[in-house]
Amino acid sequence: MKIFDATLKTLERALDVRLVEQNVLAGNVANADTPGYKPKELDFTAAMKAASSDAGAEMMTTTSPGHLGLNGAAVSSASDIATSMVLEGRGTAPSFDGNAVDLDRTMAGMAENGLQYGASAKAAGKKLAILRYAVDGGG
Amino acid sequence: MSIESIQNLSTPIKGIDGLESGAAERARPAAGGVSFAETLGQAIESVDKIQLEADGQAAKVANGGGNLHEMSLALEKADVAMRLAVKVRNKLLDAYNEIMKMGV
Amino acid sequence: MDFLTALRISGSGLSVERTRVNLASSNLANAETTRTAAGGPYQRLDPVIQAIPFGPMLGQATEPTPALNPIIASIVADTSLGRKVYSPGHPDADPEGFVTFPNVNPVHEVVNLMSASRSYEANATAIETLKTMAQRGLDIAR
Repeated sequence: MKIFDATLKTLERALDVRLVEQNVLAGNVANADTPGYKPKELDFTAAMKAASSDAGAEMMTTTSPGHLGLNGAAVSSASDIATSMVLEGRGTAPSFDGNAVDLDRTMAGMAENGLQYGASAKAAGKKLAILRYAVDGGG
Repeated sequence: MSIESIQNLSTPIKGIDGLESGAAERARPAAGGVSFAETLGQAIESVDKIQLEADGQAAKVANGGGNLHEMSLALEKADVAMRLAVKVRNKLLDAYNEIMKMGV
Repeated sequence: MDFLTALRISGSGLSVERTRVNLASSNLANAETTRTAAGGPYQRLDPVIQAIPFGPMLGQATEPTPALNPIIASIVADTSLGRKVYSPGHPDADPEGFVTFPNVNPVHEVVNLMSASRSYEANATAIETLKTMAQRGLDIAR
């Protein structure tokens, strides 16, 4: 019996990818003064697409990292897929020490990412709360 | 014991059949009305539609687009609809149990 | 309109104001620089700020919005002549003994600095406001 539907899976994936994005942004902020540093970026939409196309493989449960998925490919989690898609971005025009991090845009991006993470977490929690209420039968 | 007396016993049973069919006829709605079964079916369908709408909004936000307050409203509506449905189901069950307790 | 468009636009605004501060600081610091690599006195720098239609960032799907995104289109040097001071012993004096100083007016630059600083604060406030709004929107679902 399938209790947890595809939407919940999408929300879980979104949470994973948002976390990877947060780490990328935090890394850029931490290196805001590093000479010659080029900021990394992650294309969120592409990462979500890649993670969901691998979803077929996720249907088969694996109990050890060495197990193979549906098409014989190794099963990777959404965070692994997103991490593999982190690229070195162009950044803004580099300053005199070669550092190309735009601190303001990065901080705004971090605020947005945090809000989106909160939204996905709230949606997942609410869905589970509805399910829990239905299961409890309202007493 | 003669077979006729057994056949006499079966007539009350036939009577119960008639009662059931009569009840089914009475349960059919008045001309132009909606039966209880249909109403219940529609209610469950609309609760399901609200849940699917909430799912759609949540999926849109998860994929990066969508509208945060629309999603919140859809989720809250789904929550309220589910609570209402569960309350109605409980009341229906209570009513059914009451009727069953009554005895014939 | 995409919900969090305002965050990215405010982020661009912050970036633009920061560049304005950098340029004003550079102008102030070089107010007496009579010699540059290109020869001649320092020329004050002006930012050219352009508002472009808000396009998708990093391939994210966004709906078209009338809000415009500010960017620094270019940084141009002001070629107007600065003041000339008669000082024949100065190493950078021209054949007639005049030294040309940069065309920097410190009062203007400080005003630019203050204006950019206030705008930076205003953009940061806009971001805080949007964050609060988004949280309230999410709190609907308790």
